Amino acid sequence: MEQIAFASIAAFTLACALGVVLAKNTVNGAMCLLLCLAGVAGLFIQLHAYLLAFLLVLVYAGAVVALFLFIIMLLGAHGGQPWRFRAFQAFAGVVAAALLITGLDMISLRGKTDAGPPVAGAGVGSSLKLYADQLFTTYLLPVEVMGFLLLVAMLGVIVLSRRPTEGEATE
Amino acid sequence: MDPSNLQELAAGNTWTAIWPELSLGCLALLLLVLETLLPRFIHGKIQTFSIAGQVFILAALLLDLHTPYHESFNGLLVQSSAGQAMRVFFLLSSIMVSLLARASLWKHRVSKVEFHHIVLVVSAAMMLLVQSRNFVMLFVSLETVTVGLYILVSYYRSSARTLEAGLKYLVMGSLSSGLLLFGIVLLYGVAGSASLPGRSSDAMQYDELARFLAANPHNFLAAAGIALVLSGVAFKIGAFPFQIWIPDVYQGAPTPVTALLAVASKAAGFVVLLGLVGEAFAPYAWLVVPILTFMAAATILFGNLAALKQHNVKRLIGLSGVSHAGFILLAVVSVPRVPMAVGAVYFYLFAYLIASFAVFGVMTVLAGHDDSEQEIGDYSGLSRESPFLAGVLACGLGSLAGIPPFVGFMGKLFVFVAAFKAGHYGLLLVAIAGVVISIYYYFGWIRAAYFNDEPLASPEIARRARDGAGRLLAIALAALAASSIVFGLYQGPLGAWVSLR
Repeated sequence: MEQIAFASIAAFTLACALGVVLAKNTVNGAMCLLLCLAGVAGLFIQLHAYLLAFLLVLVYAGAVVALFLFIIMLLGAHGGQPWRFRAFQAFAGVVAAALLITGLDMISLRGKTDAGPPVAGAGVGSSLKLYADQLFTTYLLPVEVMGFLLLVAMLGVIVLSRRPTEGEATE
Repeated sequence: MDPSNLQELAAGNTWTAIWPELSLGCLALLLLVLETLLPRFIHGKIQTFSIAGQVFILAALLLDLHTPYHESFNGLLVQSSAGQAMRVFFLLSSIMVSLLARASLWKHRVSKVEFHHIVLVVSAAMMLLVQSRNFVMLFVSLETVTVGLYILVSYYRSSARTLEAGLKYLVMGSLSSGLLLFGIVLLYGVAGSASLPGRSSDAMQYDELARFLAANPHNFLAAAGIALVLSGVAFKIGAFPFQIWIPDVYQGAPTPVTALLAVASKAAGFVVLLGLVGEAFAPYAWLVVPILTFMAAATILFGNLAALKQHNVKRLIGLSGVSHAGFILLAVVSVPRVPMAVGAVYFYLFAYLIASFAVFGVMTVLAGHDDSEQEIGDYSGLSRESPFLAGVLACGLGSLAGIPPFVGFMGKLFVFVAAFKAGHYGLLLVAIAGVVISIYYYFGWIRAAYFNDEPLASPEIARRARDGAGRLLAIALAALAASSIVFGLYQGPLGAWVSLR
C-alpha cells in the first residue's frame, strides 16, 4: 500500500516537474511548479515529516509561487521564443543527463545502507515544538544572522529596482 | 523540555564573544538610521563616519587580540588566534573597500549609504563564517555573504556589463550554494544512518562529523558528500574547473566590489576550506588530497595562461587571482602532512590583501565613468603624470608577481617551503612555472606605467591621475605600499607565528 502511494505521488511530482520545464505558457509552468511542490509535500507526509510538508506548502506553494505569478502577470505572459532544436544544446543536455543519472545510480546502489531499527523518538522535522526549541536555544545565532540576511536582501531590492530619484537622475 | 534545561542551553549563547561582529552590525544599522535622520547635504559624511567607525572597531580589536581557543554558542563558533587574525583581515579589507567605494561611488548616480551598509554586513558575516564549526552556521553566514555580494556586484545598474555580471554571479552563486547544500545533506544523512558504526545524531557539528568519518573511512555516500562540499567551496575561491564565472564578473562588477570579491570572499573560502580539510574531513585525506592536488595544478596553469592574453586590467587581475587561488591551494594540500602550511595560508592571504588593495586602489582612482573598460594601454605614461600612483601600482604588482623585496615573495616562499616539506614536488614544479609566466604579464603592466614614452591614452585619465586619490585613500595606499616592502623584509612576530604553527 505504502509502495503504491509512494510510486503514484513520485510519478505525479516528476510529471509536474517536467511540465514546469516544457510548458509553453509561463503561467502554466508556474501552476505546474505549484503542483510539483504539493507532490513533494505529499512525499514529506509519507516520511512523517509533517512540519516540513506544512512549511513547504505555506512558504513555497503559498508565497513564492504566488510571487512568481504576480511577476509573470506584471511582465506580461508572452510565450517567449519558440523552442528550437540546436545540436550542441541537445548534445550538452544528453551528456549532462547521462552524468546525472550515473551519479544518482551510483549513490543509490553503492551508497545503500540498511535502514536498521527505527530511531526512537521523532526527528526534529516532525514536531513544531522540538523545532522551535532548537531554533531558539542552540541555533539562536543563525536565526539572528538570517535577520540581517533578509534586511540586506530587502535593501538590495530597493536599491536595484527603484526609479532614479533627483539625487541620481538617469544618465 | 523543561525550563531549566532551556536556560542552560541559552546560557551557551555568549554574545560577548562576537562583539566585533555585533558592533559591525550595529554600525551598519546606524548608517541607515543616520541616512533617514540627517538632511541630504551631509549624506556624504556618512561614508566617512562608516570608515571612522570601522577604524575604531579595528583599534579595539587590536587591543583585545590575544584570545585563548574556546567554543561559544553551543559549539557553533570557535574563537582562536587564527580567527582573531581573520577578523583583523576582514576589517582591513572592509575599511579598504569603503575607502575605494568613497572614491568610486560619486562617479555614478547610485545610492551611497546602502552600499556601505551591505559591505559592513557582508564583512561581519565573513567573520562569523570563518569561525563557524557547524554546517548550519556555515551555510547561514555564507548565504548572508553571497546575497550581499549579489547586490553589490550589480550595483552600477545603468551599465549593461554590470547587469550581466550580476546575473552570472547570481546563477553561479546559487548553483554553488546548491552543490554545497546537497553535499552537507548527504553527509548529515549518512552520518545519522542507524546501521553504520559511530552514528552521530548531530553531524552538522565538525567534530561529530569527523568522529563519524573516522569510524567509516571508506563510505561511498560520505565521499560523494565531501566531493560536493569541496566543489561548492571551490566555486567561491574560483578554483579550476569552477573558475568560469571569474573574468566576466570581475570585469562587470564595480571596482571596489571586485576588490571585495578578489580578497575577502576568496580568503573566507580558503579559511572554510582549511577548517574542512584540517578538521571535519581529516579522516578522508585519501580523497581530499588528490582532488585538491589536481585542482591546485589546473588552477595555477589555467589562471596564468589565460591571464597572458588579457588587455582589460580587471579581467587580468581576476585571472591572476585564479592563479593565486592555485598557489594557496598548494599550501592547503600540504596541511594534512605539514602543520606549518596553515600559517603559510594565512600569511599568503595577508600578503595578497596588501598587494591587491594597492592595485585596486590605483585602478579605482583612474577608472572613469564606465567602470568595466580599463585597458592596460590606459596606464602608459602613468609614472610621469603621477609618480605616487605609479609607485603604489609597482609595489602592488611586484608583490603579486612575488619578487623580492615585496611581501608577496615571502608569501610564495612560505607556501613553497610547506609544499616541499610535504613532498609535493610535481606540484611545486607547476607552481614555479606559473610564477615565471605570471611575471610576464605583471611586467607588461608595470612597463606600460613606467617605460612607455607615449602620453596617457586619454586626457581624462591624465587629469584623474594628476588629481590623484583623496587624502584618506592616499594615506591608505601609501601605508599599503610601505607595508608591502616592510613585511617583505621583516616579518617579525608574524613570521614566527606562521612558522611555529
